[in-house]
Amino acid sequence: MAASIREKQTAALKRMLNFNAPPLKNTAAEPLWKVLIYDRVGQDIISPLLSVKELRDMGITLHLLLHSERDHIPDVPAIYFVMPTDENIDRICQDLRKQLYESYYLNFISAISRSKLEDIASAALAANAVTQVTKVFDQYLNFITLEDDMFVLGNQNQEQISYHAINKPDIKDTEMEAIMDTIVDSLFCFFVTLGAVPIIRCSRGNAAEMVAVKLDKKLRENLRDARNSLFTGDTMGAGQFSFQRPLFVLADRNLDLATPLHHTWTYQALIHDVLDLHLNRVTLEETPASDSNPAGARPKKKNKKTYDLTAADRFWQKHKGSPFPEVAESVQQELDAYRTQEDEVKRLKSIMGLEGEDEGAISMLSDNTAKLTSAVSSLPELLEKKRLIDLHTNVATAVLDHIKNRKLDVYFEYEEKLMSKSSLDKSLLEIFSDANAGSTEDKMRLFLIYYITAQQPPSEGDLEQYKKALIDIGCDLSPLNYIKQWKAFTKMAAAPANYGNSGVKPMGLLSRVMNTGSQFVMEGVKNLVLKQHSLPVTRILDNLMEMKSNPETDDYRYFDPKMLRGSESSIPRNKNPFQEAIVFVVGGGNYIEYQNLVDYAKAKPGKRVLYGCSELFNAPQFMKQLSQLGQK
Amino acid sequence: MAVDRTVVFRASVKTVKTRNKAMGVGYDCSKDELLKRDRHKHGFSSRAKEVISNITKLKDFLLQHRKDYVNASSLISSDLNRMTDSERDQIDQDAQIFMRTCSDAIKQLRTEAGKPGLSAQVKEHRGAVLDLIESYLKSVCKLYSEQRAIRVKRVVDKKRLSRLEPEQKRKVETPKSNDAEKTTAEGENNEKPVSDGNVELWEDSRVEDELSPEEIQMFEQENQRLVSEMNSLVDEVRQIEGKVVEISRLQEIFAEKVLQQETEIDNIHQLVVGATENVKEGNEDIREAIKNNAGFRVWILFFLVMCSFSLLFLDWYDS
Repeated sequence: MAASIREKQTAALKRMLNFNAPPLKNTAAEPLWKVLIYDRVGQDIISPLLSVKELRDMGITLHLLLHSERDHIPDVPAIYFVMPTDENIDRICQDLRKQLYESYYLNFISAISRSKLEDIASAALAANAVTQVTKVFDQYLNFITLEDDMFVLGNQNQEQISYHAINKPDIKDTEMEAIMDTIVDSLFCFFVTLGAVPIIRCSRGNAAEMVAVKLDKKLRENLRDARNSLFTGDTMGAGQFSFQRPLFVLADRNLDLATPLHHTWTYQALIHDVLDLHLNRVTLEETPASDSNPAGARPKKKNKKTYDLTAADRFWQKHKGSPFPEVAESVQQELDAYRTQEDEVKRLKSIMGLEGEDEGAISMLSDNTAKLTSAVSSLPELLEKKRLIDLHTNVATAVLDHIKNRKLDVYFEYEEKLMSKSSLDKSLLEIFSDANAGSTEDKMRLFLIYYITAQQPPSEGDLEQYKKALIDIGCDLSPLNYIKQWKAFTKMAAAPANYGNSGVKPMGLLSRVMNTGSQFVMEGVKNLVLKQHSLPVTRILDNLMEMKSNPETDDYRYFDPKMLRGSESSIPRNKNPFQEAIVFVVGGGNYIEYQNLVDYAKAKPGKRVLYGCSELFNAPQFMKQLSQLGQK
Repeated sequence: MAVDRTVVFRASVKTVKTRNKAMGVGYDCSKDELLKRDRHKHGFSSRAKEVISNITKLKDFLLQHRKDYVNASSLISSDLNRMTDSERDQIDQDAQIFMRTCSDAIKQLRTEAGKPGLSAQVKEHRGAVLDLIESYLKSVCKLYSEQRAIRVKRVVDKKRLSRLEPEQKRKVETPKSNDAEKTTAEGENNEKPVSDGNVELWEDSRVEDELSPEEIQMFEQENQRLVSEMNSLVDEVRQIEGKVVEISRLQEIFAEKVLQQETEIDNIHQLVVGATENVKEGNEDIREAIKNNAGFRVWILFFLVMCSFSLLFLDWYDS
């Protein structure tokens, strides 16, 4: 697993785009042009990994949706990258009948069944296009990679595999089976791409266990079938150099409901919570500068601006996990550095102008040509840097506005205290009655976290008081019903979400002092410093990876697909600590957990952790699902 | 890892065929396929493929002769594969003509592709194909210019070496050698004249061996002085050549940028012209409005004056 999952998936995509031949290193190769056709699932997979420019460099002249109107383009090979669903197959057969392209390379995102292959075969025969269908491949790429070490399962079928769908009380067995099949299919594709067979561990008695059983069965079947096994062959050689197998931890969302509701303070998680972050793309609503318009002018329209946060953006990669004030400072520093470089270039311009009148300055000329060459070559870099700084300035300003309006720092501090069971200096009622601090959603989130993390449930009187206060401000109380049920179900009363030691040290209202000269005047926003703390998921991972004995994780089930006979025991055969781990949360995850795992991996050198979830939601979306569940 | 299901696909095609035969469903002959192929023989993509094959031929040709082209052992005349300079020039010229024809062909294809009557997708596709071909041509041109730059550098270095040797061997007749030196300092293709000049001087020096020792010493001193002068000149000239090559490269970059800006400036020009027109029309409208205003005022005044006069008249009439 030396290469990250993102690199592996990108390499697989590039190979596919090169007609499934390994890409040549020859820089001056003949261009081969092709047309790429994908469905929505394929689009979601490709868009975080390859930009349009990279597609063009690989020779893709057009990229189109499968179900759009497509014209006849002769003499062009077409590469299809679709899911093998019935409507996609019908559309492909239609294309074959209409003879839209010269040759067809069909790549299915997950495995296609024999009967569907026969459907395509009969359509090809009817259209006399059998020789045109040049290749048919199963790509096993049915997951979306967002970061080097983070992946999500499909985006299009979020409704089907959401937390709500898995946990609703009136779920039928068939529905559950279908959901499990989808999840297992994607996880199987993930392991095929990764090229490793993991050791699976999961807790008992929940959706995660069902997924683990099915996944184990599927991997076992595939390994038994020695002829067609996907995990052998010389292409796998590189992956097998790491002798250790990775650990795959399946966690269920029900283990920890407070983290998705938590208010956060790191850059990436804040953007996901407060703005609209989707597949590494941020959408901002920009209100143009507000000059008072005289009466009669048209109201100014709000523009929507989208920004892509990519792997090539060095500032983003460095700071996506840092707390927000640090980010503000760093943006300011980058801006200053950029300004000095710009001034240098401008100075060079004036020097060149003067030197042109001087005679016999050959040595000076050589120095200046060298400087000029370096300036000219560094200009594109400078422009790119400026663009990135603008991007981050806009995004950070938007986030800061939200923080100021909703006083998110207060919530963050309070919730950290709740989760670490340290003493509270303000009571809940005070915060509820404070009209400036946050929207009704924020207050509801705070209350739910309080309810979840309380050792004993609050007394009836207190509860009624809180409820009344919440109803007064207009909150919807249905999530509360669901949380009550959840608490009753999971007998986690013994160790309710032990969030570990976390302390929050506010550094006081030093906004003005710290930020003199900074664009971000964080008035009234406390500069909070995060101490290291571990969320439940991280602690479970730590126990399992280090083979520590802990009552929480001791009765986790143990699956090893490579063993000849499956066993029901939960005694691990392998006594060494693991070096690589993959954490997957069934029912949804978010960036806070991801950031926590990244910090954990950084603290332990030599360990690599990947994070995955069935869907990625932020707190408002999760609240919606909870209220749907609570209304049943 | 991707799994190749093509074999399975072919097998299922056979199954379907046998099934169709069993059920008595017939299918058309496969002759139509071949006919369809012939139709697109002279289409856009075949011509584009021709251009690409030409560019590939040029690339292969350049790569094939690269070793000989850059060969630095031309001083040793025993190597049979040595390329003469005229051959190198020939290659340069041919390559340039070829590149020009290729870029013309690309431009022609582009104008053809821009004609109306094709769907938007096909147009976009053709535009992108032409972009790809252009970038391929650019990379091949880079190969060529790299080769050329290496050749120029080697020639300059060669000049430096070849000039110093005859200086040390010769004893007399410095003026003739000076002339020969000056001519070599200017051009690249003067290897032959230099060697010819050297042969002549050898013969001359052997004839005039009977000069007196004082004269010889004087001539030697003069030689030394001239040698040092020439060396410094040569160094400066070499530096200037190097700088000029760099400057030409920079110029290329600048020219590119300027061309890019040209289109933008054209746009701005159009916009400005439009803006001046609008402003002129606005002025006219304002003038009209003022006039109307003024006219309106005059009428009001007139009306009021008339009213007051009529009032006075009536008053006088009545009393």
